[in-house]
Amino acid sequence: MAIFRTLLRQVTFQKVLLGTKRSGVISLTNNYSLFPSTFIKGTFIPSEQNKLKESGELQKIAHIPIKPAFNDETSSEFYDPIVRKFTNYIMRKGKKVLARNLLEKTFENVKRIQLEKYNSSSFEAQTEIELNPTVILHQALANCKPVLELMPMRRGGVRYQVPVPIRESRSAFLAARWIIEAAKDKERTIHLPEKLAWELIEASKNQGRAVRRKQELHKQCEANRAYAHYRWS
Amino acid sequence: MVFYTQSLLRRITSGHVRMFGTALEAIKVPEEPPQTFRTIENNPANHTIDHMNRFYTIAPEIQKQLFQHGGLTKFFQKQVKTFAECSILIRQPAIEIISYIRQSDYSKPPNKYVLYGEFGVGKSTTLVHLIHYAFATRKILIHVPWAQNWFSRPRETANSIVHEGNIDLPIDAAAWLVHFKNQNHYLLSELDLRVTKDYAWSHRETTSNGTPLLEMINFGINRIKFASEIINVLINELKEASRDGKCSTMVAIDGYNAFFSEYSAIRDDNKKVVPPSRVSLTHAFLNITKSDWCNGIIVVAVDILATKDRRESYLPRFLLNKEGFEHMDPFLPVHVKNYTTDEFEIIAEYYKNRKWIRDISKQGLRELQLLSQNNPYKFMEYCTPL
Amino acid sequence: MSLFIRLCEKNTRIILTKIPNVTASFATTAKPVDIESTEFRVLNLKSKKVENTRKKTRRVEVPPPRANQMAVDQDWPSVWPGPKTFHPAVVPIPIRQGYSLRDQPPPDKYGNTELMKIPNFLHLSPPAVQRHCEALKKFCTEWPVGLETEDKCRKHFPLEVITSDYCYSSPTIREPLSRIVTLRVKLSSLSLNAHAKDKILRLVKDKYSPETDFITITADRCPTKKQNLEYAEYLLTALFHESWRVEDWESEKAEADMEYYDWDKNKSRTNLLTLHAWPNSPTDTDWECIPHVEEYKIAVSDLFNTGEDLHTVNKYKEAVKNVLNLKCEA
Repeated sequence: MAIFRTLLRQVTFQKVLLGTKRSGVISLTNNYSLFPSTFIKGTFIPSEQNKLKESGELQKIAHIPIKPAFNDETSSEFYDPIVRKFTNYIMRKGKKVLARNLLEKTFENVKRIQLEKYNSSSFEAQTEIELNPTVILHQALANCKPVLELMPMRRGGVRYQVPVPIRESRSAFLAARWIIEAAKDKERTIHLPEKLAWELIEASKNQGRAVRRKQELHKQCEANRAYAHYRWS
Repeated sequence: MVFYTQSLLRRITSGHVRMFGTALEAIKVPEEPPQTFRTIENNPANHTIDHMNRFYTIAPEIQKQLFQHGGLTKFFQKQVKTFAECSILIRQPAIEIISYIRQSDYSKPPNKYVLYGEFGVGKSTTLVHLIHYAFATRKILIHVPWAQNWFSRPRETANSIVHEGNIDLPIDAAAWLVHFKNQNHYLLSELDLRVTKDYAWSHRETTSNGTPLLEMINFGINRIKFASEIINVLINELKEASRDGKCSTMVAIDGYNAFFSEYSAIRDDNKKVVPPSRVSLTHAFLNITKSDWCNGIIVVAVDILATKDRRESYLPRFLLNKEGFEHMDPFLPVHVKNYTTDEFEIIAEYYKNRKWIRDISKQGLRELQLLSQNNPYKFMEYCTPL
Repeated sequence: MSLFIRLCEKNTRIILTKIPNVTASFATTAKPVDIESTEFRVLNLKSKKVENTRKKTRRVEVPPPRANQMAVDQDWPSVWPGPKTFHPAVVPIPIRQGYSLRDQPPPDKYGNTELMKIPNFLHLSPPAVQRHCEALKKFCTEWPVGLETEDKCRKHFPLEVITSDYCYSSPTIREPLSRIVTLRVKLSSLSLNAHAKDKILRLVKDKYSPETDFITITADRCPTKKQNLEYAEYLLTALFHESWRVEDWESEKAEADMEYYDWDKNKSRTNLLTLHAWPNSPTDTDWECIPHVEEYKIAVSDLFNTGEDLHTVNKYKEAVKNVLNLKCEA
């Protein structure tokens, strides 16, 4: 009996040890960062820095260590977070230089198409033509963003496609993916920048395959509205 | 902390710039913006130092006549299409050469000008300006858009009939004849230049004394087998005609140092590399750049990209090699440089006018200037995705 | 078994007892005991312990170091007249030498092998040297007249021979490095013409230093200094005469063989003459009367000889402009 007790004690002791060990592991898995948790995230965008300075926030954090910016983030005037994100969506196998070149060429094509339109149209029509490729990209992404998504759920042994509202980030991701997938569906002889430019312009006008895909999804969600309550029950 | 302060400093200046920028936009009148970067003097024959750092426009029909078969760089051609006009900045090297051309003595052998400079500084575009000048002053144009094309991408090769061991490029030669005819047919028919000797191409085909040059060129275009030899003859005839004062001639060759390279993609029957010195086209165009004729101008551009074997320096003697230097000597080396700050501002203004770049603050322009190091090609490249 | 053990014990005891006997026999050699006369021999099982008297070593009286008694103004050369290994008691200086443990000074001079190992020059103190010189003076001759300054020496004796002598405390007085002889002479002192100068430079190659203008010949192939010196002198003589000799094939030298660009022999000159004489055929006689020809010649030669850079290209451009009579307006 005594032996059993000692054994038990040992076990509990081991448990305590294991616990500490596990907690240690957990803290490691939670923080892969090179920087300790005391470091705060700074900003590299000049306007935000200015805001910090005006509000006096800068004085407060003056002596707190700050994490550095990523190497593709710049305080340049030409930096755009959405463009950066879209570049990463285009990227395959980590070839970022290629992805960036593709997007730059796409922007060039967009600009050329729009400028030729601009030069050939009348003065009144000229004001309506958007020439900034970045704005066109923003517009295209905004037009392709879905609001709902179908989620397969198993209820009573049957899988139902249940319409579910989606997060902002998920919808932005889907929009970008649809545009890129639409651009990739092309003839072998056509280069991606050409097709992508065309898709972007179409999407910015609320046309094109990516926008249609969004509309189809919405239509399906509408059709499956009867299953909506499966989300909760 | 340093990171913050630096970017904050940058931010302050950019704020000032923004204010200034919006003020400029307010002034802009949509109907007829004041275009200080342009000159209305579109005839290069009248260009002087007063027109420097201004844009002038080449009329579309002239552009089509002169540069339909090459002459404008690939990127510039795209810009012409996008901007719906072919405008060129009047720069110092072009004005300098034009002033020399005006002064020089045409009873003497032609003066030779060699444009040199780093990659993308505008040597070819300066050449375009000078070709337009020659066209405006009614000179016969012997223009090679990019000599390297013949040696790196020959379309067809054949052994020469006339010169043993030489190689003809029939299609390329015929294409050049088309280019020559396109550039000069008005002037040739107007001046009524005629062949001065009898030439027998084969048993049946001959060109007799007194035939118009245009007819011989057409023959060369139709019978591409003889095109290389016809170029040879044509160049000799033009030299003769210039010497006699019937016409004056301008030679413009881009990538001239390709003729003195050791490398080419042309192979003979034994699959051995044929250097450019054994290609019949080379002989023709080296012949026209000799000093044994008068009443002409020779402008050539040397470029690092024109040879595969000599790429260490962009300076003319190195690129021409000793052989080429002795062939050209004495020549006037003209350095084409990167943009000056004035030129850069003019270019930026032009791009803004053409909507190629929009709403860029002064700070952004400064960033582009530093990034491109004032190099025209790089600046053009950096502006494309904006 | 047990018997055997006992036997063994006995034996050992015998062995043990034997030993004092032996010692006793040594001690008693002075007065031998008549064994026959005594009646009974007594078995001394317990022998008396002979006290082991320790040998007393007599300490030699060491006098205090001589250095302590030395006068400050003594005559040092007579204390240390010749080369000798370091002796701490003779040298009145508190020298320390060697590797020390932490927080300790280096070992002092007493019993310091580090000091004894190294050669010293205590016999070469300034007064000793001076005395040597004084003694040698009567053998000296006068300094030759006309060689008062370095420059005069160099002018009259341009040849410089550099050798090295070695002196150290090894058993042998031969040092292999002392055989090496270096011979130096200025190229300008050799009085050569342009051809000979060019040829000697080609022959000596990197043995000539353009900064100092010296030709340096080093000979080390022979075993003795004298032989090497003679060999170096022979080499210099051979070089001098060879450089003056003009071979038949030297007239066949072409442009490509020349290391420098000679404008007068090049196509650039004929080009300029043709240009100037146009439309007549060029004549070779009156090229010097072409305006700005000298400037042009220098510019072209510079372009080839000093290498091409923006400066030389611009120089060439200016020269061409002058030759062609053009003025820049832009």
